[in-house]
Amino acid sequence: MSASRAEAVRPALRLLVVDDETIVRDSLGAWFRQEGHQVATAESAKEALRLCAERGFDIALVDIRMPGLDGLELQARLAAADPELTIVLMTAYASVDTAVRAMKAGAYDYIVKPFDPDDLSLLVKRAAEHRSLRAENVRLRKSIDSVAAPPPLLGGSLAMKKVAEMVETVATSDATVLVLGESGTGKELVARAIHAGSPRRYNPLVVVNCAALPEGTLESELFGHEAGAFTGARARHKGKFETAEGGTVFLDEIGELSPKMQVDLLRVLEEKVVTRVGGNTPLPVDFRVVAATNRELRAMVESGSFREDLYWRLNVFAIEIPPLRERLDDIPVLAEHFLARFAHAMGRKPLQLSPATVEVLRSYPWPGNVRELQNAIERAVVVGSGPLVEPNDLPLHITKAPPGAGPGSLAEAEKGHVRAVLDAQGWNITRAARILDIDRVTLYHKIRKYELQKPADGG
Amino acid sequence: MAADVSRVRELHLLPLDGLEPPLAEEIAARLSRRLSAACRILRSGGLQPTRLPGRDQLDADALLAALEALPIADDAVLVGLTTLDIALPIFTFVFGRARQGARAALVSLARLDAGFYSLPSDPDLLARRTTDEIVHELGHLASLAHCQNASCLMSFAGSVEKVDVRGSAFCDGCRDRLPAWLRIQPRL
Repeated sequence: MSASRAEAVRPALRLLVVDDETIVRDSLGAWFRQEGHQVATAESAKEALRLCAERGFDIALVDIRMPGLDGLELQARLAAADPELTIVLMTAYASVDTAVRAMKAGAYDYIVKPFDPDDLSLLVKRAAEHRSLRAENVRLRKSIDSVAAPPPLLGGSLAMKKVAEMVETVATSDATVLVLGESGTGKELVARAIHAGSPRRYNPLVVVNCAALPEGTLESELFGHEAGAFTGARARHKGKFETAEGGTVFLDEIGELSPKMQVDLLRVLEEKVVTRVGGNTPLPVDFRVVAATNRELRAMVESGSFREDLYWRLNVFAIEIPPLRERLDDIPVLAEHFLARFAHAMGRKPLQLSPATVEVLRSYPWPGNVRELQNAIERAVVVGSGPLVEPNDLPLHITKAPPGAGPGSLAEAEKGHVRAVLDAQGWNITRAARILDIDRVTLYHKIRKYELQKPADGG
Repeated sequence: MAADVSRVRELHLLPLDGLEPPLAEEIAARLSRRLSAACRILRSGGLQPTRLPGRDQLDADALLAALEALPIADDAVLVGLTTLDIALPIFTFVFGRARQGARAALVSLARLDAGFYSLPSDPDLLARRTTDEIVHELGHLASLAHCQNASCLMSFAGSVEKVDVRGSAFCDGCRDRLPAWLRIQPRL
């Protein structure tokens, strides 16, 4: 390998040696130059700060004992002036106290005089790698910020502006958040926005749908299990709280938790430790919780189906997302957003909503909320052929919504719509839930709420 | 101004203390085979090495400065050889010392000797290591810096294990930058 190629592999470092002893500066300067690096030396803290202000350095080797400003103080000043600078402290006295003080002051490492040549060579190499990794980390975080930013919370209505403000306010705190709203209003989107705006955004956001799994499976999913904890548990499995270490756990459909799981969850939230199923060791975990439900949690507390202590533990900061029918002005904005997105995804030319379509969209009660609107627009992009989306491009049940199905008659509209879909699907709950864009548990809830009954066979 | 070492015809070895003549001659013979320059052993004496305060080691920079101050012919370079341990105030030890572009270098045999590590002495191994270290320092006199190729003779070695691992040959890049008298491949 030629020297020039070698330099391409590891570029010369810009080093600053700060020591009041001439012999140290000269020896280290000569040694580092022989290693192919660029070296500047300073005999005082003042000179070091001046040099740092004039030009950048990769690594500074700073003597811990100097007249005037000592190495630890200088370390703090240099770090403030250039947070990217990797600082190695040099000391003639090896002691735990020195090491602790150096590290606490933010130094990358410290080295004891006189240096073993191999140790110094290795230290500089490691410091350069550390610096390179840190720079890469910054680049990756910037990438995450730009790539993984959640979709904006769309809507110009006063209600949605308020939601956006609340998200912004609570995101930077570490408070537990309870997101309330009907199915399809975008509770997970709000949870993602909270995570993305929080200091935990570089750590995982783990989504758990509490209604999707039976109690035993959910327990194992949330808390993990040890090998042999139950039949089929062949290997140790980390739970969602462990997986989310340093990040956020989004507990969706929290109102569907069984009484036992409510107790277990409460303990985890209070103690911030989990014990895997089949294990005995409590494991400390660091996470933030955002929970969501479309149920009336307060009413569930009063009826005794949801623990009050867990309710208050979750309801530190509540955000209620209004249903779409209560923010009619957001409908065209959202529809146009989805229209542009799907047209782009399907390679279609830009599309527009006809005035008649806008009117139909505004008249429909949207029991499935934003998710239903999104699906309706996707369908319209698929079936539509012209530059304008017309009402007949929309799903039939939207254009045929009963007259007067406006904000004042929501319950009846929803009841009629749910019954119509159930009847059309022969009361197949899974298919009906899919068409309504709600989960099966929510559908059962609505069947109970509206006292709907399956027609007798053969009638 | 840096000395021109491109036209060197002779390499002068100067034993500074108790280097045994057979070993000095073996080293000189190896260097003669390896370089296209004559190798001559000078009579020792004349230099008063200084010890580092509080350490049983010679001050490598002071000794190098004394070597550089000696009269050296225009077509020669000088390498001082000591059997004593050498170091710098800031380093626990060094194997050798040379300034890029100068005409004199210093090499210590102390830590190249297996006996230093409580192993049985091996004169052949010591001669090979010393020859390698001398050629490494000559590379610095020819203005080469340390090479990042760990198997190149110009790579930095902070331990005797690394001296052995890096071997005796220059990488192609370093070899291309050497004057002709230093370019001969090793024939050990």
